[in-house]
Amino acid sequence: MVNTEALTGELEVYEIGYLVLPSIPEDKLSDVTGAIRKVITKEGGIEIDAEEPFKENLAYSMSKTIGASRYVLTDAYLGWIKFEVDRAKILAIKSGVEKIDEVLRLLLVKAPRQTTFTFAKARAVKEEKKEPVSGSVEEAVVN
Amino acid sequence: MRKQNYFKDNKIEHIDYKDVETLKKFLTPHARIQSHKRSGLPAKFERALALAVKRARFLGLLPYVSR
Repeated sequence: MVNTEALTGELEVYEIGYLVLPSIPEDKLSDVTGAIRKVITKEGGIEIDAEEPFKENLAYSMSKTIGASRYVLTDAYLGWIKFEVDRAKILAIKSGVEKIDEVLRLLLVKAPRQTTFTFAKARAVKEEKKEPVSGSVEEAVVN
Repeated sequence: MRKQNYFKDNKIEHIDYKDVETLKKFLTPHARIQSHKRSGLPAKFERALALAVKRARFLGLLPYVSR
């Protein structure tokens, strides 16, 4: 058991990665991210960086039971939020976010303050790589 | 032969669990983590890589098993 009182006053940067149920319409997604942000700010967390959720196919199927119904899912919305908070408050944040029904899964990890990777950047790099290939094909045809 | 370190060569200081395309380079066709013999990484980076792959698996970004 963590002695939470001893940790009070020490700030740490955390990152929360989460999956949201795909059954939620895109315009309602902001409600879910808003609920997660509310839990973080309620415990005194300061947001550093974030990326809004987007739909992504899962590498394997997951299931979530809400009430009496069990959902088996092959895709979900994936997003993350990076924030700084008192180390003593992190357990409260974790259990608070876990209680949100729409959140399928969450990963809470310590993270460096600097953001070196975003999905948007990765997507841009991937598309950039694709383009030169089509360019070289055209050149080959001309030659 | 010089051991190459992919992460140092590409100036990646923090191995992020979200960086799936990079992590995939270090998986076998069965989606297992390559041994350091195969990946050529120093022990420190191999450990960081293993942690990142396990986190990515938990969030469904990478498979636990394949084929």
